[in-house]
Amino acid sequence: MAEYTPFEMIAYTGSRVLEDNTIVFVGTGLPIIASIHAQLTHAPGLGIIFEAGPLTPVLEMGMPLSVGDTRACRKACYLKGLSSVFELTQRGHADYAFIGGAQIDMYGNVNSTFEGGTYKAAKTRFPGSGGAGAMAANCEKSIIIMALEPRRFTPKLDFLTSIGFGDGSPDYREKSGVMGSGPYRVITNEALFGFDKETRRMVLLEAAKGRTAEDIQKKVSFELLISPDLKEMTEPSDKDLKLLREECDPDGYFLARKLK
Amino acid sequence: MKEKVQSPICRVSNLDDNQIRDCNGGFSWWGPSPEEARKTMVQKPKGLIDKRTTIKDAVAKYVKDGMNLAIGGFVNTRPPVALIHEIIRKGAKNLTLSFQSNSICPELLAGAMLIDPAHLSIKRVELAWWGYEVIGIAPLFRHLCQNSLVELDDYTNYGMSARFKAAAMGLEFLPVRDHGGADMELVNRGKMIQSPFTGKNTYLVPACYPDLGILNVTAADMHGNCRLFGAHCTCPEIAMAAAHTVVTAEQIIPLENIRTYPNLTEIPYTAVDAVIEQRFASYPGACYGNYWFDMEHILMFRSASEEFRKSGNKDHLKKYYDEYIFGCETYDDFLSKIPYRTLKKIREMDGGQPMILS
Repeated sequence: MAEYTPFEMIAYTGSRVLEDNTIVFVGTGLPIIASIHAQLTHAPGLGIIFEAGPLTPVLEMGMPLSVGDTRACRKACYLKGLSSVFELTQRGHADYAFIGGAQIDMYGNVNSTFEGGTYKAAKTRFPGSGGAGAMAANCEKSIIIMALEPRRFTPKLDFLTSIGFGDGSPDYREKSGVMGSGPYRVITNEALFGFDKETRRMVLLEAAKGRTAEDIQKKVSFELLISPDLKEMTEPSDKDLKLLREECDPDGYFLARKLK
Repeated sequence: MKEKVQSPICRVSNLDDNQIRDCNGGFSWWGPSPEEARKTMVQKPKGLIDKRTTIKDAVAKYVKDGMNLAIGGFVNTRPPVALIHEIIRKGAKNLTLSFQSNSICPELLAGAMLIDPAHLSIKRVELAWWGYEVIGIAPLFRHLCQNSLVELDDYTNYGMSARFKAAAMGLEFLPVRDHGGADMELVNRGKMIQSPFTGKNTYLVPACYPDLGILNVTAADMHGNCRLFGAHCTCPEIAMAAAHTVVTAEQIIPLENIRTYPNLTEIPYTAVDAVIEQRFASYPGACYGNYWFDMEHILMFRSASEEFRKSGNKDHLKKYYDEYIFGCETYDDFLSKIPYRTLKKIREMDGGQPMILS
């Protein structure tokens, strides 16, 4: 088994989660790479929505560097603008929202607006919701990428940007007027989480090789539920790594993070 | 204040009352009202007149202190950079900016404000997202927020699109399926109501009627009929929402071509007040079918911005403006400073994406 980076593990796990013959609405970076990998392996029928407008393009010009990248429009089946693609999500056309964020709580609510200080005087302001808040509301299931750190897996968000299960009450999403069924998976390089059907709380489904549930709990600032069927995360094969490095992100923009 | 909210967000939010928008003063438009915007439209001459002008004349005529300025494009795609440069040269105070996701345009305006607030200033921003995506966060936006220099009104990308769309439809608001159950409903100017039909909670976003919309389009005729290739972003909605709209076009095409394929017209001439043919008008951003974005140039401006944010030293930032904006009479003067090899490269990077100009 070859060595792989945390970003490669996240992209590979993201790919595993996506089913064939579905539509994924992607955010920039690892969600795009995961989706390309899925198309090249088990999910050739996976369609991608990029929020600037395209539905199901052919990404033959290389990985789009952003969801607004002109390359993401190449040979799309349908290409209008933001209104059109988000209205598709309201109507049920998008199976997955694939987003990132800065903080997440046990009910899968996500912050991507600010950290520290207040809304009116934010210590660290992030770019804002962008599409994330709308994707988490109206794509059928949300997949969220997050770095596994105690300050990010927090009991208390500084700001709730993208709706999860709210306070966990069964009618929270309905009372909020949103259409999607809510958080589905949370992906980190060391653990894969899902959500308990009864309580809507985050559940540890898989831990990376050599990690115990206790190891993962130490990196999460709220109490995790542990799946009775806890599994080991599948590692990317040499073939997967080759695809990720040579086909999905050959210039290493996100997998190698050359820019930072 | 949380108690007044219909949605269950009050059970979850960690925001204190000071952070929540005080709606007790009632709602006010951050730009023209629907009635004012309609009146402006009704009073315009509707003939197929020649609307071609210069960037300088269009900006002198339509940009005013205190106005709501809507910026077209999406992040690095088709940002109206040529028009932004001239707005910075002219100067404008107490602007309200409205856009969904943008990068270099609001950053350039923010930098101008940080260099000389007496020349250009931003009072408030209605937005969904402000950053550079793969290139990083927007340092000047972060600085503005840290120092509470602008008032913010946060929505999702669909929220901002729906707000422009509502205005394009002549409405006061649109119901949307997002924002509800998130803190955005506590800080922005939207409102949760109960549907008059089913009683279910429904989130309304207020329309956004800008005083001026600025766009760069793929092609237009001299009357303002516009074609867009690649993602439309929210450009048609912005053009039709704004009281006045100024467009740069990469290429002016004959009315005859427009009439040959009327289905390809995404913005009708009645929505456009001024047209300027300007090649590379989105540079260093991308324009589908014409050129890709120039990461090097964006990185240069961003690193000067980041240096200012971290050290407070304005020298490099100021140098950028002196060299590329104030040191240029026109946008062509700016483009003359970009090496030919760079422009050639970004044209090649576009890969010849197909467009119909005939």
